[in-house]
Amino acid sequence: MRTSWDIFCHVIDNYGDAGVCWRLARQLAEEYDAEVRLWVDDPETLARLSGISPTGISSYAPRQIGRVWVHYWSPEWREVVPADVVVEAFGCQLPLKYLAAMAARSVPPLWLNLEYLSAEDWVAGCHGLPSLQQNGLQKYFFFPGFSTNTGGLLRETNLLQRRSAFQQNDRAKAQFLSTIGVDEIADSTLVSLFCYENPALTQWLDAICEGQRRYHFLVPVGRVVGDVCRWLGREAFELGERYQRGSVCIQFIPFLSQPDYDLLLWSCDFNVVRGEDSFVRAQWAARPFLWHIYPQQEGAHFVKLDAFLRCYNEGLSAGAKTATISSWLAWNTGVLPADMKDRLFVGGADLVGHSEDWAAYLEGQNNLAESLVQFYQNWV
Amino acid sequence: MKTAQEMKPNSVILIDGQPWMVQKAEFTKSGRNSAIVKMKLKNLLSGSTTETVYKTDDKVEPVILERIAVTYSYVAESIYVFMDEEYNQYELNEEDIESVLPYIVDGMSDICEAVFFEGKVISVDLPTMVVRQITYTEGSARGDTSGKVMKPAKLSNGTEIKVADFCEIDDWIEIDTRTGEYKSRAKAPV
Repeated sequence: MRTSWDIFCHVIDNYGDAGVCWRLARQLAEEYDAEVRLWVDDPETLARLSGISPTGISSYAPRQIGRVWVHYWSPEWREVVPADVVVEAFGCQLPLKYLAAMAARSVPPLWLNLEYLSAEDWVAGCHGLPSLQQNGLQKYFFFPGFSTNTGGLLRETNLLQRRSAFQQNDRAKAQFLSTIGVDEIADSTLVSLFCYENPALTQWLDAICEGQRRYHFLVPVGRVVGDVCRWLGREAFELGERYQRGSVCIQFIPFLSQPDYDLLLWSCDFNVVRGEDSFVRAQWAARPFLWHIYPQQEGAHFVKLDAFLRCYNEGLSAGAKTATISSWLAWNTGVLPADMKDRLFVGGADLVGHSEDWAAYLEGQNNLAESLVQFYQNWV
Repeated sequence: MKTAQEMKPNSVILIDGQPWMVQKAEFTKSGRNSAIVKMKLKNLLSGSTTETVYKTDDKVEPVILERIAVTYSYVAESIYVFMDEEYNQYELNEEDIESVLPYIVDGMSDICEAVFFEGKVISVDLPTMVVRQITYTEGSARGDTSGKVMKPAKLSNGTEIKVADFCEIDDWIEIDTRTGEYKSRAKAPV
């Protein structure tokens, strides 16, 4: 008998919340034959990630996308029979009527609070622990992570094999780039740029546009577009148009669906990513990358950044380690020291090899969807 | 109802009709993750312990347990009997008082607290500090007087404890019942 899953996603901002939930929902449905309902309160964001029209999921009528039933999580909750497994993503609050229905089920569901990704040490100590409830329901905290004593990372079956095959196939790469209106420029370093607004960006571009090395930036439409336009001295841009300033060529590209964004990351020599979902996908791309972590008040995000760097940098040479730490910290503080402006791209041979080793190391762990399915099977 | 973050060690919360005592509570807030409290809980009826996690703003039901001052009376067939000042007797099984057993000795005069849940005595708490007599320990090997060098010692009920190297047989010592640690030498109780 198929297991039914309800995944609840409250979109706080940007694409990470919906991105992770959508990816998880698809993987559970496609690879684990689960019946999945994804409840999302921001259909527009999900529509952009999945490449469908938002109007299709903004009403009470659910819409099937692939093998996932997508439901609009409306403020006026309509009663439904809860699934076997209920995932509240990122600490969102389940509707009270839904909670009551969970408690009333003859066999109460497994209730999981799926948290944000962090490499901090305390995560392993809290992963999988129960959260004892008053109403007979069994709730557990579930943490993604970078070690075997966490839930792991989202990784579809054969992802790394597909990536390797793509990266070894120049024709496939050229074909994909042409679908987004990009012709690679010979002898240029291809960079994807998906980050939050960041004053360090223009400092970086200023420095490298005067250098010998040539760069081709691909910028999906998003929050950083304003910064890039200002640097180019433009008020507007046209998708696909190339804008040259010194050694730097900028090309704006459409916002990409998740599968296409993977291909973009696999195509580029260096990826600038942000938040959680693109950050994880950049690691599977096995190319050097720079992470713009979700900024928090009072610099709380630096603890998380530091924790990731500590585990990511294992095995790096001392020089590459220092370069990575200083460039990531500078990027996330928004101020590049003068001596770093033309060295932010740390894409030397060390980093290229390390990116591949890191992806291979992570592949040795359970993927997040698999961990969740196993957790449910053990619980049953 | 209170929030989980208001619960401190020794708070008792009711979960599905069972009283659980908070033995440890660690607060964590990181990045965008929910602020959480990881707790070690002890079920006051079964004695079992578990770890649990709550979001800090999760609601929990605190319980104020009734407590009565008692003194230890005697043990018979693994039933420990305590008595209040009106000579009412309260019987507890060995497993109900497992955590304080190492400090129960014949003739002890400590004022303890019998803990009640729904009118039934479920455990006994000892004072934080108790004074007990060493019945056996080896002589001081190094002549240490700082109290930093420790050695094993036995109490009259057979409990083994680490004491300062300068302690001797028949000495009275103060013990922290929360940690089981020797604190200092003490005067004999009056």
